[in-house]
Formats: sequence, structure tokens, C-alpha cells
Amino acid sequence: MGMQGDFLQLLKEQGYTLGVPATVGTGHALTNATTILAFKYRDGVLVAGDRRATAGNIVMYDRTDKVLEIDRHSVMAIAGVPATAYEMVRVLEHSFKYYRRTQLQELSFDGKLRAVSKLLKDNVPAALAGTGAVVPVFAGYDVEQGSAKIYFYDILGAEFEGVEYAVSGSGSPTIRGILHYLNTWGEQPLSALPEEQAMVQALRLLTSAAEFDSATGGINREASLYPVIKLITGAGVQTVPNATLKPLYEAQVVRYV
Amino acid sequence: MYEEPYRWVEAVGNRRQYLDEQFKQGSPVVALTYDGGILLTTVSKGTPKLYEIYDRLALGGMGHPTDLEKLRFSLLEMAHVEGFNRSPSDVTGSRLVKYGIAPVIKQAFEEMYKAPFIVRILVAELGLKPEKDALLTINYDGTFEETTGRAVLAATPAVHTKMMSYLKEQMPATLSLEQALALALRTWAIGSLAHQQEEADQQAEAKPPTSGAGSSAAAIPSSDTLIAHVRGIAGERTIECAVLDRQASGTSKYRLLKPADLSSLLPKAFQSVVAN
Repeated sequence: MGMQGDFLQLLKEQGYTLGVPATVGTGHALTNATTILAFKYRDGVLVAGDRRATAGNIVMYDRTDKVLEIDRHSVMAIAGVPATAYEMVRVLEHSFKYYRRTQLQELSFDGKLRAVSKLLKDNVPAALAGTGAVVPVFAGYDVEQGSAKIYFYDILGAEFEGVEYAVSGSGSPTIRGILHYLNTWGEQPLSALPEEQAMVQALRLLTSAAEFDSATGGINREASLYPVIKLITGAGVQTVPNATLKPLYEAQVVRYV
Repeated sequence: MYEEPYRWVEAVGNRRQYLDEQFKQGSPVVALTYDGGILLTTVSKGTPKLYEIYDRLALGGMGHPTDLEKLRFSLLEMAHVEGFNRSPSDVTGSRLVKYGIAPVIKQAFEEMYKAPFIVRILVAELGLKPEKDALLTINYDGTFEETTGRAVLAATPAVHTKMMSYLKEQMPATLSLEQALALALRTWAIGSLAHQQEEADQQAEAKPPTSGAGSSAAAIPSSDTLIAHVRGIAGERTIECAVLDRQASGTSKYRLLKPADLSSLLPKAFQSVVAN
């Protein structure tokens, strides 16, 4: 029923399916070659991702955007099979808009989380077959509660709250440790970092991930290639332009040995 | 009873008469293009009459709230499914109206044993370029019209004509949002006053005619009269204004103007209208 404002249900009534495996899967090793991260800082939440897309050991593309805006107050950072991930983002984007326009109110933050879980659950067959696994990080600003929130998921759709930070992708083991260290013994906890310091930390973390993970793209100044960093505050989602990242990178990330 | 052709024509006539009656309490809707997008304005009582349909589409309506809701949902469904399956730029007002709801409204109108939709609908579409802006209106019988620049919904054809000729006369080639808002409210007042006048004339016709002076030839009310009329009515009703704002960030261009926006945009003479 359209009266409930459920867009996915509407699509299904029209014969749409998500997560049907393309072939009978062999269940080969799940790859999610990338690094995405999210952490809370003083004004809200920062979400960042490198820009490399790989197929095996081939670099497919070096300007991928893995941090995708779903609406004014939420983003999904994706690790996993891009085709499925982009499709999920498209479904979510339309679902939230459809809900808002039919019900004349925003979908609650919890409602949005449920929508992500539901999509991942529908996608389980494809994920297990090895053709469609997606391991996203969902971050946003809960306008009603006035607080930033981070959630991460496993491929089956279980939802976990990342109290301070969350990471995903092949480069994430490297930076998970760094985040823990920084947050526990750093000069100040991540959640107290001002905006500029938060961006510097994000650049350093992604550079570290690229150091140890071949599937994570680093920063390439000559090509003006910087990671995607988005800041979500009460005012909405804001993408940090390269012009801001460049001087920060040069002054506080590059080490001249 | 309606099998014979003659009966059928008679039935359609009756239907029109019945439907025309239903719009008597209706409040006109005015849509104008201004330098930054499209403005929709009405003065509503109880239920809102302006809605967001898609990224660049807005809806204004007159008539029965439940019928309007039904059609609004059909529009929303069609727009979102199309926007998802193809792309947001394939969702156009003209397709939604011509192949979407206009045939549904016409069919309901002609099925004599079923209830027709008691609605008049206006769909505003913000083009990627200003010259692509479009305004579509649909009547209760499914006839639709596509125009640019200005469009109105009114209770009767005569009122519709009055509002449109007022707009034609008063609307400059380009206007700011402030100017558009003031003009839209004055045009709404023209419609509302003309409708009141029509009602009064009809009652007067019932009595023996007094003199030959018909009120239909009355001069256009002055701006002050129009503002006073809006002010008089705003106490028990809500001024509803929405824009499709070309400058808005993000994909959704629709924005409902809040009382705070209105009071900063409206000229002084209208200020007390919003305070209510």
C-alpha cells in the first residue's frame, strides 16, 4: 500500500528484485578492496573514503566516490561490490524522498537505519554467492535528537552502532588500530577535535591505509587527487573541496624526510 | 437509463453542474514564474493544498481533499518509480499529466455510475533552464492545458478569466520573489472577490431586477481593496506559499515558505496578514 510510504514495497509490487545472485555462487572469498572511515568530531560526524576501484590487482578507476549522500543529513560509505552498493544507495535515496513527500514528514533516523538493514537482508543471497556483498557504514545527523550517529553493518544486515568511529574495507584493519590509539591516548578524544584537525586526521588515516593496502588509493598531488571527505552537522552534509584539503595535506600530512 | 445517446449527453451535463457546485467553497490557486523559479500561492482552510511531487515538480489543488490525496499519491508513485527506473530527468510534468492522471480523471468523469474526482489540479515544473518551466492545469473532466509564465485554478470559468486578465495586465516581464508574492496574493484576492460577487449576483437574479447596471462590468478593484480583502480573510485561514527554487542546493527544489520567510518577503501592507 502506497499509503505507508514504503518505496521498496512499491518497487517490489512492480516486479523489482534486489539481491538475486547472477549465478549459482561458489562462495569465493569476499573482497571489499577499499578503505572507508567515519568518526565523530566536535561539530558532527566526518565520513571519508579513498577513491580507488580495483578488480583483482588491476586499478579500474582512481576517482570513484564511495561516500554517497543519501539525503541532506545522511551519507552511506560503501565497501564491497560497487554495482550492488550504488543500487542500494539509489533505492535508499528514492525511499527517503518518497517517504517525505507522501507522509509530509521526514523519515526518522531509526527508520532510515531500518531501511538500510532491510536492503542488506534482501541482498543476502547475492552476498553469499560472492557477487553482491556490501559492507557499508551509515552516518548521519539525527536532527530530532541533535546528535551525530555512526552505524556499521555486516553483509547479513546486522546493525552495530559505532560509538566513536567505524571503518570498513580491506584497508580498515590498519587504521582501526590507529583510531583506537588516537581516541584512547591521543591529546584529545576524536569527538573533541575541531573541524580542521578532524580533516587532517582523516587524511593521515587514509594515507596510512594506502601505505599498507594495495587496494586503497593514496593521495596524488600532481593529479590533484584527494580522498572524498564529507562533514555532516546539524546544517546538513557538506563535501570538503580539494582546495581545502590541499593546504592541509601539504602542511600537516606530508613528511619531508 | 443512460443507454440512449441523448440521455448520456444529459447525464454529462448534470455531472458538470454537480461538479461546478462543488467548487463554490474552493480557494483559487495562483502559480507564477519569477526570476529564481516558480511560486505557488493559495489561501487554505484546514487542509493544505500545495504539495511536493518530485525533485522539480509541485502540485496545487482545488476540490475534495480525499480526491486530491488519491491523485497526489498516484502522481508521487508514478514520479518516483519512473525516476528510479529511468532517471530523475525523465520525470516530466507533461508526461505525468498527459499519460498519467488526466486519462484517469476523464474516465472517472465519464463513468456515470461511479463518483467523479472533485478536483482541479495545477502541476508546476521547474525546467533545467528557465525557458523550460511549465505550468499544467487539469480540470475535473480530464481536459488539460499547458502554459508558461502564469496559471490559475479558479471556482468558475468567469473567475478564471478575470484572474488571468489581471495577471496579464499586472505581470512584468521579470519579477523578484517579493514582487511575485505580492502579485500572487492580489490575484488570489481578485479571484476570491470575483467569486463572492458572482454568488451575490446569482442571489440577486432570484429577486426581480432593480436597474440595468450589471456588476459584471465593475472596474478592477484597487490594490488597497485587494490587500484589505486578503487581510480580512487571513484570520481564519492560512496563506500557503511554496516555491520551486532554481538556486536550492541538492536535487529537491521544492520549499514551503514558512511564516518567517513570508513576513520578510511580503511588502509592509501585507505584514499583518502573516502575523495572524
